[in-house]
Amino acid sequence: MTDTGLTRAAAAADEKAERDWFEIAVAAALPAAIALLALFFYVKAPVFMTANNWIAISVQVSALMTISIPFAMLLMAGKIDLSVGSTLALCGVVAGLSFEPLGITGAVLLTLAVGTGAGLINGVLVSSIGMSPIIVTLGTLTLIRGLAQWLAPNPIFGFPEEFLVIGYERIFGLPVLTWIMLAVIALGAAVMALLPIGPQIVALGVNRRAAFLVGLRVKAIGVGLYAATGFFVAVAALMSISRINSAPAGTLGIGVELSVLTAVLLGGIPFTGGKGSVLRVVLGVWLLGMLSNGLILMNVPTELSLMTTGIVLVVAAGLDVLRARRG
Amino acid sequence: MRLEVKDLRKSYGSVAVLKGVDLQVEAGKVLAFLGANGAGKSTLLNCISGAQDADKGDILAGGASLRDATPRQVQNLGVAIIYQHFQVFEGLTVAENIFLGHEIKRGGRVDRRAQNGKARELLARLGVSGINPRAELGTLGVGERKVVEIARALRLKPRFLILDEPTASLSDKEAKALHAVIRQAVAKDGIGVIYVTHFLDEIHKVADQVTILRDGRILWTRPVEEVTIADMTDAISPDALLKGIERPGFTPSGPAVLKMDGLSTGFVGPVSAELRAGEVLGIYGLMGAGRTELLECLSGAAPKSSGRIELDGQDVSFAAPREALSQGVALVASDRKEQSLFASFAAVENLLVPHFGRSPMPRLLRDFRREGREFERAARRLNIQPPNPRLQGQRFSGGNAQKIMVGRWLVEGTGLKLLLLDEPTQGVDIGARHELYEALADVKRKGTAVAVASSDATEICLLADKVLVLGRGRQVALIDNPQDEEMLIELAHRAEHSAQQDPAAAEPEAKEMELTQ
Repeated sequence: MTDTGLTRAAAAADEKAERDWFEIAVAAALPAAIALLALFFYVKAPVFMTANNWIAISVQVSALMTISIPFAMLLMAGKIDLSVGSTLALCGVVAGLSFEPLGITGAVLLTLAVGTGAGLINGVLVSSIGMSPIIVTLGTLTLIRGLAQWLAPNPIFGFPEEFLVIGYERIFGLPVLTWIMLAVIALGAAVMALLPIGPQIVALGVNRRAAFLVGLRVKAIGVGLYAATGFFVAVAALMSISRINSAPAGTLGIGVELSVLTAVLLGGIPFTGGKGSVLRVVLGVWLLGMLSNGLILMNVPTELSLMTTGIVLVVAAGLDVLRARRG
Repeated sequence: MRLEVKDLRKSYGSVAVLKGVDLQVEAGKVLAFLGANGAGKSTLLNCISGAQDADKGDILAGGASLRDATPRQVQNLGVAIIYQHFQVFEGLTVAENIFLGHEIKRGGRVDRRAQNGKARELLARLGVSGINPRAELGTLGVGERKVVEIARALRLKPRFLILDEPTASLSDKEAKALHAVIRQAVAKDGIGVIYVTHFLDEIHKVADQVTILRDGRILWTRPVEEVTIADMTDAISPDALLKGIERPGFTPSGPAVLKMDGLSTGFVGPVSAELRAGEVLGIYGLMGAGRTELLECLSGAAPKSSGRIELDGQDVSFAAPREALSQGVALVASDRKEQSLFASFAAVENLLVPHFGRSPMPRLLRDFRREGREFERAARRLNIQPPNPRLQGQRFSGGNAQKIMVGRWLVEGTGLKLLLLDEPTQGVDIGARHELYEALADVKRKGTAVAVASSDATEICLLADKVLVLGRGRQVALIDNPQDEEMLIELAHRAEHSAQQDPAAAEPEAKEMELTQ
């Protein structure tokens, strides 16, 4: 009898170890993928592993990161915004058109207001009225892109020098764009981890009915998240146009919604929402940035690079399913 | 022919739920399967059904292994399972639900006429003639839906049938009919049945053998003639006997905290009743009587259509639960999984989710130490097991999860005036039930008014200082100091019956009020 007891205890310990091992493996998969990929690029193109290149990557992903953080919080709450790319274009165009009449401060404020306003409209339609997030934002994706192209049929370029500083200036050795990105990450992580609103946002994604019944501001939080996403898309638009010194309404922000979605899914947020961590999303974005940077260094043609991004999105969705099965 | 479970083990993370379960069900027998919440019943059923894979051990149906089989394969091996939570589709007809995935076809097309005929036959075998196979399922009551599920399972002529708390939402009459059907299926077709239940008094009516699962192991299996209800109660949870509970001794006093005056909501009303501080109002009625709707209206989750609600003498009208909460009115909703639990949240967050950012919790920054202390206090007060603040809500047993749901409103300093509870002990075992009742007595002593809606007359008599009896949405009676369960049951049934005879009164539809928010 004692023998069986001991065997059972040992078996239970084995099972426990097996479970923990799986959880550790899941948690370590993303950092490990980043490390392996970095190693691969380093072998293929040694210039990859230099401080300057990593700073270059940070500049390349800065706008994507700035959108991905609020987008991730929106997805945790069980909502989605597919119009981020078009809103980016609209904000870029609005900024480009308003530098002359309004001056830099006026143009920046107007741009932030336009981005927030676009988010508010999505938020009211989805959260207050209760329409489908995917359909509403698919609609606004097209609508806002059209609006941007109507406002500026031709690319706008030649922005004031004082504004372009954002795109190339460095502070304490790091580009301004990198600092903005780091500030957004810190803000997002702090909101989710330290503020009471953090668990409330996730609660909406876990069980909306229960969230309503325990008295959470279900509608207001939804609208707020959409507005915040719009605001940070406007910030990202200003970052983007300051770097390329032009705002082409037809191409600016094209496909951004897919990159953001890929990064966020890679970062471990389920498509259905209800959980996730801001810092893992940062890793997801970084993986995407490294991938495109490394492929360029390896002189891989753009088409192949585009296909790789598509594959990564499918892989990310696959991981989502795997986690859901085991979890 | 037998269904055998051999040394089955299953853990979630570091929590071992099944610790080597051995079980046999013979063809032609009904095995009643009992266990407290958290004993591992649901996990065992999930392993048998193929919804989850066991870690170790085996399951054999007539010699064929079900280990690692998919739900579909399990079904094909002749094991049918009817879950406690409904697995039917509201938009389809009764017959379509019954034949879903196994449609009767003629010339490549679904033969509706044959399906409807066959469905009628299956239902007739269950002794049910009131359900039209062509009716859309959404128009049926909860009890009738259970019957449809059972008809669907029997359609495939299974060799073994597993029923997970089939009578949890049925009226006494429907439960009785169900018992008859099960005995008939066993006698005629020789199927073996595992009958999971919390209702000890139905075991002698339906089962041949009783098995008790405790703490992940089988405690004993005995023929039903040799077992008394007291034996079973002792075995499930030895130190918590329901009969030891007395109605909380406290004399309600002062003016009314809640006053309903001709209150109507949806098909419910008009209802008029008063509730003083420290008083418990029971709301009793059969399925579809309007208990849930009335509580939802009081909690701001559903709008009132006419009449008045007075809280502390003030006329109130809540547009959302949030508004009700700010005035000290809280609801513990009935369907825990759908309406109150945040499955993936840690226990401490589940407990405190209504309070984040509002008094008494800090407004600006979360205070994790304070949160930990609040959980500890709730765990001690309600005996939440395991008292682990980081464990996910879905990992707790039904009873312990429910303690967390009730614990939400017992957090000190929330200014609770009126606590509304809808079926607070549904799917909760006797031990946890005892602890919840004690917590309610405590709430009462502190001078909070309580309204408890329940379909369990025993529970109502145990807790309530007065009872509001509802029948088809109407106020049938308001009884002070209820003692007589039989009378309550009779009143509720009579109300149902007379409403059916009176076409004017039968008009209101007992449809679930699904809120968009």
